Amino acid sequence: MTTKTDPPAGAETPSAGPNSRRDFLMKAGIGAGVVALVGQAGASLRSLVPNVSYDAPTTVKLGAPVDFPDGMKFLPDERLFVFREGKTFHAISAVCTHLGCTVRAEALSKVEEASVEGKPLRLTHRFQCPCHGSKYSGDGTNQTGPAPKPLAWYHLSVAVDDGQLVVDLAQEVGHDFRLTLA
Amino acid sequence: MSGTERAVSAKPGTPAPPSAPGVHPKPFWSFRPRSDREAGDAVVSNFLLHWFPAKTYKPSLDWNYSFWLGTASAALFFLLVLSGLPLLLLYVPSVERAYGSVKDIEFVVTFGSWIRAVHRIAAHLMVAAVFLHLVRVFLTGAYKNGTGRGQRREWNWVLGVVMIVLTLFLSFTGYLLPWDQLAYWAVTVGTNIASSVPFVGPEMRELLIGGRTIDQATLLRFYVLHVIFLPAGLGALLAYHMWRIRKDGGLAKADRWTLGSEKTEAPPAKTKTWSLLGVARGQAPAIRAVTLEAADRTVNSVNDLVRRISIVVLGTFAVVSILACFIPSPLEEPANPMITPNPAKAPWYFLWLQEIVTDTTLKIGSFTINGAFLGGVILPTILLGLLTVWPWLDRSPAGAAGIWFHASRKRQNLVFLLVVLLVLAFTIVGTFLRGPYWNFYWPWQAWPELPTRI
Repeated sequence: MTTKTDPPAGAETPSAGPNSRRDFLMKAGIGAGVVALVGQAGASLRSLVPNVSYDAPTTVKLGAPVDFPDGMKFLPDERLFVFREGKTFHAISAVCTHLGCTVRAEALSKVEEASVEGKPLRLTHRFQCPCHGSKYSGDGTNQTGPAPKPLAWYHLSVAVDDGQLVVDLAQEVGHDFRLTLA
Repeated sequence: MSGTERAVSAKPGTPAPPSAPGVHPKPFWSFRPRSDREAGDAVVSNFLLHWFPAKTYKPSLDWNYSFWLGTASAALFFLLVLSGLPLLLLYVPSVERAYGSVKDIEFVVTFGSWIRAVHRIAAHLMVAAVFLHLVRVFLTGAYKNGTGRGQRREWNWVLGVVMIVLTLFLSFTGYLLPWDQLAYWAVTVGTNIASSVPFVGPEMRELLIGGRTIDQATLLRFYVLHVIFLPAGLGALLAYHMWRIRKDGGLAKADRWTLGSEKTEAPPAKTKTWSLLGVARGQAPAIRAVTLEAADRTVNSVNDLVRRISIVVLGTFAVVSILACFIPSPLEEPANPMITPNPAKAPWYFLWLQEIVTDTTLKIGSFTINGAFLGGVILPTILLGLLTVWPWLDRSPAGAAGIWFHASRKRQNLVFLLVVLLVLAFTIVGTFLRGPYWNFYWPWQAWPELPTRI
């Protein structure tokens, strides 16, 4: 076959060695394989992150204000407690802030009048979580147990079209929030 | 194995070799080998037996050293795969129909309730068995490299830690498939624990449940994990785990048996011949070898090892099958996203975690760390991390490998046992002493009557 001669000084492509064409092709091949595997793995994982959320809407009509008794009404679908005191309403979430179980309301033997964030509030219930025993006072403040923060208060409004109460489960409000009907 | 080998020609007068030298004389192996050669043949020619060594050190077979907990765990895993197959054809992974299909399995399908009970009881026992296996391996220092060459026992221990985590994930994904109240609230709590990790938590939860609310995507994800990814992963690791035991020279207890043993002359064994003269004269060269496997220290794997493994595996199957006749599998009310049962308890092997996430919410000044993160993520991670690296922290001598409660490992054994006892204590508190609203009740105290619905 051909006679092998030493490459002249400064030759660019020696047939073997760290910078040879063979070495380059091998590295390119392995690199392409790695890129393909990582790419496919990444694509597979990414496909599992949902792009569309079919969650229930966060703004929900709860019913006419007259359907709410004075005191507390639990709405299981929204996991929400709606409180009424005459013409004022407020809503507290029933989702425990510890690990997301539904807390249960327990009627107080004696209604308490309290001042929450500078506004008077009638406390009729307290809340307890069945999963890990967190306890909340009537305005949703965490008292004992593992709950790290108070139950969420949600924004209430009145629907323009039919006058129903509307809760916005995406809008947390302070403990001084009241919806007062005219 | 150890020993040097040298081919020498056979003495004249040895019996004639089989007609085709080098080929196993019989198409089948024997479970009643009449010679060492036949015993070895079984290991070589049987696919299921080929993962055993030809010879086993006698102490490896002791009942009261390993208690065969690893074998029992593997048997339970195989039983779970087997009993899972019919369930795979009967269960429907849809939020509308999952509960109904499990109810059908329980009440309509012939033998359905028994198959489900076998699957469930085997799962419970497997959690217990792998846990006890881990305890045994720790207390005997069996993750330590002894006197053998090329041992990597610490890596087999790491494999084991991964496998116990996979076992727990398999249990978790399994008990939520019926989509009853237990299932739904377990997913809620479990994925909220994942969600409590700072920064990436909510994204992790979204990836786990396939959205922001627990729904069809969640069930399907956990179902696929339960029937494909987790068992495949555990099966692969199991095979690797077993292979490593052989590479590490068997059980740690057997290590010392190789120490100080004299090289002895093995009886000459005939081997195949490639020489025409050998074939023509009916002479085959024989292997003369010296061996460290003294005959009084080893037994043939066929049949001594096979017999004990069969006893353990079949015994495990029998125990589970009989228990399944008497212990019915519970099925709670269908999943109700609105009402959390009171109390909402995880299965017993997670109750220590449920107890810990209850007790670990910390307030530092105005800053609160959720117990979900501290007790549900940080603490288990620390425990698992310590377990994983322990073989490298254990400074006891190699001679402590494979001995129950070796004196040089006294302190670490005590600490380990203390942690085990704490976990058990939390489990007992969670199981027996927690009532509605996770309040503390002594067993003799009646739980208050509470409305089941608000």
